[in-house]
Amino acid sequence: MVGTAHALERTAARPRSTWWRRRGTRRALTFYAFISPWLIGFVALGAIPLLLALLMSFTNYDGLNLDYVRFVGADNYARAVNDPDTLHSMQRTLVFVGSTVTLGLVVQLGAALLLDAPVPGRGLFRTLFYLPYVVPVVAGAWIWKIFTDPNGGLLNALIGLVKPEFAMNWIVEQPTTVLVLFTVWALTGGGMVVFLAGLQGIPAELKEAAQIDGAGPVSVLRFITLPLLAPVILFQLVVSLIGAMQIIQQPLLLAPGLLGPGTLPPRDNYLYVVHAYHEIFVNQRFGYGAALLWILFLITLGLTLALVRSSRRWVHYEEAQ
Amino acid sequence: MGMEERVARYGRREVLKRTGVLAAGIAAAPLIAACQTSTTTQKTGKVVVMTDPNEFGAEDVKAIEDATKLKLEVVKSDLTRLYAMYAAGNPPDLFRVQAAGVPQYISRKMVKNLQPYFAASKVLKPDDLAPSNNFYKWDGKVVGKGDLYGMVKDWSPDFTLFAYTKAFDEAGVKVPSDSAPLSYQELHDLATKVNRKSGGKRTYWGFVHSNNDQWIDRTAMNMLAEKGQSLYSADFSTANITGNAEAVKVFKYLYDLAAEGLQQSPVDPSPNWMGADFNNGQIAILQYGYWFSAMAESDTTKGKTVMLPAPTWSGTRRDPTMTATGWVMSAQTKDPDAAWAVFETYMGGAPAVTRAGSGWGVPGLKSLYAKMPTDTAFQKQVQKVLGDELKYSDGVLQFNPYIGEETFSTTWKKHLETALKGQISFDKMLSNIEADVNGAIADGRKIVGQ
Amino acid sequence: MRTHALRYPALILATAIFSLPTFWVLVTSMKKQSEFAGLRLFPEVPQWVNYQLAVTLADFGRFATNSLLLATSYTVIVVVTSALVGYGFARHRGPLRDQLFIVVLAMMMVPNVVLFVPQFVVFAKLELTNTYWPWILWALGASPLLVFLFRQFFASFPRELGDAAEVDGAGPLRVFLQVFVPNAWPAFAAALIFAYTWVWGDYLYPILLLNDANTTLAVKLSTAYADPHGNPLQTVTMAGVVLYVLPLVIIFFLAQRFIIKGVVTTGLRG
Repeated sequence: MVGTAHALERTAARPRSTWWRRRGTRRALTFYAFISPWLIGFVALGAIPLLLALLMSFTNYDGLNLDYVRFVGADNYARAVNDPDTLHSMQRTLVFVGSTVTLGLVVQLGAALLLDAPVPGRGLFRTLFYLPYVVPVVAGAWIWKIFTDPNGGLLNALIGLVKPEFAMNWIVEQPTTVLVLFTVWALTGGGMVVFLAGLQGIPAELKEAAQIDGAGPVSVLRFITLPLLAPVILFQLVVSLIGAMQIIQQPLLLAPGLLGPGTLPPRDNYLYVVHAYHEIFVNQRFGYGAALLWILFLITLGLTLALVRSSRRWVHYEEAQ
Repeated sequence: MGMEERVARYGRREVLKRTGVLAAGIAAAPLIAACQTSTTTQKTGKVVVMTDPNEFGAEDVKAIEDATKLKLEVVKSDLTRLYAMYAAGNPPDLFRVQAAGVPQYISRKMVKNLQPYFAASKVLKPDDLAPSNNFYKWDGKVVGKGDLYGMVKDWSPDFTLFAYTKAFDEAGVKVPSDSAPLSYQELHDLATKVNRKSGGKRTYWGFVHSNNDQWIDRTAMNMLAEKGQSLYSADFSTANITGNAEAVKVFKYLYDLAAEGLQQSPVDPSPNWMGADFNNGQIAILQYGYWFSAMAESDTTKGKTVMLPAPTWSGTRRDPTMTATGWVMSAQTKDPDAAWAVFETYMGGAPAVTRAGSGWGVPGLKSLYAKMPTDTAFQKQVQKVLGDELKYSDGVLQFNPYIGEETFSTTWKKHLETALKGQISFDKMLSNIEADVNGAIADGRKIVGQ
Repeated sequence: MRTHALRYPALILATAIFSLPTFWVLVTSMKKQSEFAGLRLFPEVPQWVNYQLAVTLADFGRFATNSLLLATSYTVIVVVTSALVGYGFARHRGPLRDQLFIVVLAMMMVPNVVLFVPQFVVFAKLELTNTYWPWILWALGASPLLVFLFRQFFASFPRELGDAAEVDGAGPLRVFLQVFVPNAWPAFAAALIFAYTWVWGDYLYPILLLNDANTTLAVKLSTAYADPHGNPLQTVTMAGVVLYVLPLVIIFFLAQRFIIKGVVTTGLRG
């Protein structure tokens, strides 16, 4: 398989003049013609809201009327650095992101590998794994709340079959575990679809050849499937990471009470975007909330670029061999 | 484009130029200039209403459209959308609010003074307005004085109690009389007796109130108001908690309910909301207003539910509404007469009569009180209690104009969790809450230049 | 075949555990409201009436039509534009390509909350609020995530694939359509599933940009099943959810059939 996100570094490393002379203007025009839908959309629709959103973070905007809006310089950014909740929520977010992304990858890849094989009823199994992905998050959260409820919840009832008198108030004692399991459950379908699609690009001949050479299923997975799937794994990791960093509805919906601006998740599930959301909608600090979110943007960008960079070591490329 | 429109446009642009966000819009200037609509009166024949579609159904829309010959556009209530519509200079003509937000909207000049309309109205007459409408008055200093800026769609004295008699029977405790109020202390002791939890499993919560603490400040405000005290200083510049012995007592009481496991709390939450828990027979005593009587009797609780008067903190009966949900008109509305016609019909026309008969709240007009349902035995019992409570529901709560509706309660919940887990003391919890709320007040004051 | 025999029971067990919460949606949809979070695991009497209420309380057909219209038009357009853009980034070179691609990735990282108000302001100024045009315009501008997805897939095709056709004198668009697209059915199927699911399931943007008459089923699902005070009727909602996911399950079931081995890819490698 040819390098994917990796092409990024490869081109950057190449002296600009060399490829320009070799490829020529025509080639560049073709490139811009292909990406023109996105480029035009970005300039026409994306850029102005982005700029407004950025400028908002330098104001005292509180969501009410604009007559009182003033520039406050970098005050909001300074406040973010000194706010103990910023650090707390970022720590909890990283714990959540780390567990969700890794566990999610294992489950999604596992489901895809199991369902890539021609097993009987494959379409049905695929659909069952996909289903939670389309269950609306509000309904999913309700189900997980009653599922883990210490009074009539199914989870404790099932554990009670093995361990009588088991009584755990999951949402209070293990809020992040519940949140991670709920999120992984809900997102499995999406990742599985990507991995299933990716697995189709792996030639069956390669696996067969390896099996003839005496390789067991683990070796085939380790030396054939995973390396060839690496670009898709990278895609899924990046997308999961970005999504998990921004998670907000799931922790709010698992919190006590009905969903509203003041819904407060347990301290352990007080994630970064929840913090920003509260500053915006509860404390009426829209400008400050915007600053918090732009800081999150920078952290996400940094983590993503680090991930893409690290992929050099584990994403294998045909050309390099 | 007419001259007048052009002037209006430039005038508006001057106003906006002083603000940060338009500076932000420099990039968008050509776009904005091309599309900027004038702010002068326009008769479009369409009125935009932002409300909750559940309480404003297709029948209401049709009734109002037929009566006013205007077209209604309903937009679902959403804080982001409201912010966005104001930011775009195009707020909804009418929108749904709760009392807690009113002083801020008025002091920020976001809503229109409706006093002249009320004065001229043949439908919504000042003498006929229920006392809860005083929540829509703010004279710059206190809630309840000055001109009217809006009206409740309906309301309830919100501090009444609903008792599940089965929990009392099982505990061998007599259900309190529905003709004399309990003191909050008696209520606490009663709650201890009917509360039931064993082996990590909950049978009954003893006394559940304040909607998952979302309204904790309102509950506390009403208790304090019995003694003529307020949660905030007279000019609303600070929260008065740690320095006020009475406030400390009130919050200690509320804290103890949670700490003793009588009330739902961050360390003992329910997967559902408290009304549903009552319906499921899991709450012995629930504090909710009259509106809840419309749904209090489920298959489980039918025939086992009684309504009780609001408890008192210090012997003074006081049972105002704490939500006062209603409508206001945005100051920028392009056709205020049309918006008023819709407002008037909704508040005093056919839709109001239908609402009154539904039992989902006390009407906003006294003349409609008689329409409340009295068919079943429970409804009759409820009306008896309500009739008594209405004598004590003229008061208001002094909401702070500098902070959001849920700033106080969310701050409370945040520090309550840490305190209930034993990580901070009760006193530390109170001083943390006070500091956070004061921080939010200070920010709000700074924005309006105080 | 030994692995196969082991694999199947494992698959059934894994699916069963995984599907328990999904199954619970179904169970809950047949409970009485007062049984929602109580001590009883299964409904005393199945409440089929919930399904009737789900359809009548929300004018199900009308809002399903809105969702269908919005999701279909968005999906058709966005899959085409994203495939073109993703292909451009994967297989063609131009100045600033890598920087632009980082911008594509970065667009996924801006939290929605901070963009809602500015986006509304822009669409309000264009007088496009309360219409479906924002979705059409977004679709025309391609989706960053789908661009990324297509880029990863097209970049993973062997280098010789396009070169051979170009040598034969085919133009860039013909190479794309005749050589790459036929080999990318799995990616197209995945993109279609994603795009459809997002629009069908999203309720934040419809609340922000549409009104109560032309909004989507997802919005109604989150609000319509409630008492007159706005408190939710969870069991009726669950019945609504069951009906609501059906079209998506059908779309998935049909689309996943296109997740099959690409012929040319393997052929070239053999």
